[in-house]
Amino acid sequence: MSFVPEAPASTAWRRRVMARRLGRLAVNGAIAIIALFPILWGLSSSLKPSAQIAEYPPSLLPRAVTFEHYLRVFNDNVGHYIFNSALVSTGAVALCLIVGALGGYALARFTFRGRGVMMVMTVAIMSIPIASLLVPTFTTLSTIGLIDTRLGLILLYAAYQLPIVIWMLYGYFLSLPVEIEQAARIDGCSPYRTLRKVVLPLSRPGLVAAALFVLVFSWNDFVVAVTMTSSEQARTLPVAIYFYLGFYGREWGPLLAASIISIIPIIGVFIVLQRYFMSGLTGGGVKG
Amino acid sequence: MRRADWPVAYQMLVPALLLEGAFVLAPLAIGFWYSLHNVRFFRMRSFVWLDNYWSIITSPLVVNSLVVTVIFSVAALVLTFAIGFGLAVWLQRDTAGHVAMRAIVLVPYMIAMLVGSMLLKWIFAQESGLTPLLLGPFGYGNVSILSDPKTAMAALVYNAMWRDSAFAMIMLLAGLKSLPVQIFQAARVDGASPFYIFRRITLPLLRIPILITLVRLFIHFINTLTFPLILTGGGPANATETVVLRMFRLGFQDNVLGQANALAVLIFAGNIILVAVLLLLFRQAKRL
Repeated sequence: MSFVPEAPASTAWRRRVMARRLGRLAVNGAIAIIALFPILWGLSSSLKPSAQIAEYPPSLLPRAVTFEHYLRVFNDNVGHYIFNSALVSTGAVALCLIVGALGGYALARFTFRGRGVMMVMTVAIMSIPIASLLVPTFTTLSTIGLIDTRLGLILLYAAYQLPIVIWMLYGYFLSLPVEIEQAARIDGCSPYRTLRKVVLPLSRPGLVAAALFVLVFSWNDFVVAVTMTSSEQARTLPVAIYFYLGFYGREWGPLLAASIISIIPIIGVFIVLQRYFMSGLTGGGVKG
Repeated sequence: MRRADWPVAYQMLVPALLLEGAFVLAPLAIGFWYSLHNVRFFRMRSFVWLDNYWSIITSPLVVNSLVVTVIFSVAALVLTFAIGFGLAVWLQRDTAGHVAMRAIVLVPYMIAMLVGSMLLKWIFAQESGLTPLLLGPFGYGNVSILSDPKTAMAALVYNAMWRDSAFAMIMLLAGLKSLPVQIFQAARVDGASPFYIFRRITLPLLRIPILITLVRLFIHFINTLTFPLILTGGGPANATETVVLRMFRLGFQDNVLGQANALAVLIFAGNIILVAVLLLLFRQAKRL
């Protein structure tokens, strides 16, 4: 059948191969359990009837699957928080991509005075801890009337992720051949038109990776949102979950249900666009 | 491109500069200005020079939070880095199984920090029945992990490790992939042992990715607010209250914004000094 020579058929050798394969399987299984167990345990608990959640000894699976906690969370208007999170995330992604593409293109394709300063500033801002900005940012947003608004969150998320987006797109633009752009310019395209019609269509993988970054950050952020919003009107999903922790006290059912709801979209996006995320996570950073 | 294009480059950078100026640089400056004033409930009262800094430095709560931060971030850094490195080496081949395992390991990193911490809180909570069940056979059935200072700190470190090992893995994996294969083949032909290859070839060649991973993890752990706020709430008795959590409470619970900003300025300065020192150390220890 095949041209691969028959492997030596000694049982000792075959046993060693099997043992090795089993060992590897065991290690991988253990890693997967440690990584996923908290999520699966949360999922399982969220599907248990209230009476079973705090039962001792706990059972791994719900005796009867119930969606009561999910229904309750949706009756508590979780749809509104999901909408807010989605709106804020997509807004931040759009703003970040537009501003970041312009900035990254300027740095990648033009020589001008102050370019070095801009590059250094991009990296420097990336390393500012958001935590040390929280308190004064609250004051700034109150002064300009953007506190407790979705627009305020969009602007903050865009500002925090913009340096990374610029950095990633800058690297991507540099990797594109410059000749097509020069041809477009000679044909009379303005720099903006060249960017829009020639460069951006060629940069789809870079744009997707950058967009994913902003999306994951904005969808998952809790710290910025909890400090900058106070009313239900602008509250995002993670903040709502945090408030469930306070409102329901020790009532874990709705809390876990809301958590699982927040995980589903991000896992979906992750499954579809995984390879972009992996490359984006290390983009530029590792080669230093 | 053409030399006459430099005004366009400036134009393209204007939106980015506006965004960063308004929401990163301005808050930094405003925060510093506030830190020199007596601010209560968002009203600036009087210019007090360095009084806020003095009360911050002499506050026993702040000193305690510093110790907590150092213990937490060093423990989390060592464990997260070691596990991440182990995972990177374990999963470095590109077989389908290994790629799938990488995706599984990344799941805790993809979901919101708030949600991850909450799911772990549910596991560590007595009500879940899980920890009494697991610890019961060892005679610790009645221990509440989150209400003993030592175990609460361990839980906090575990939380960091569970989430961020995947980040270390991806960064180091990208580094491993970028190394030339020939060197390893040559070493193996020369009869070098795997340990010798790791110690003498892999580690030195990975110096830059290792440095970047360590610095980014360390900065992340020092500045994290979500882990302690959600998992332990800083308790029991401030045993897990990190500096950033202290700052958050000064600003948004005690409403002493002057002091909170002073602490934010100190945290910011500490971050800069730390990064500079780490980079210098690595430059000195070139041979690793």
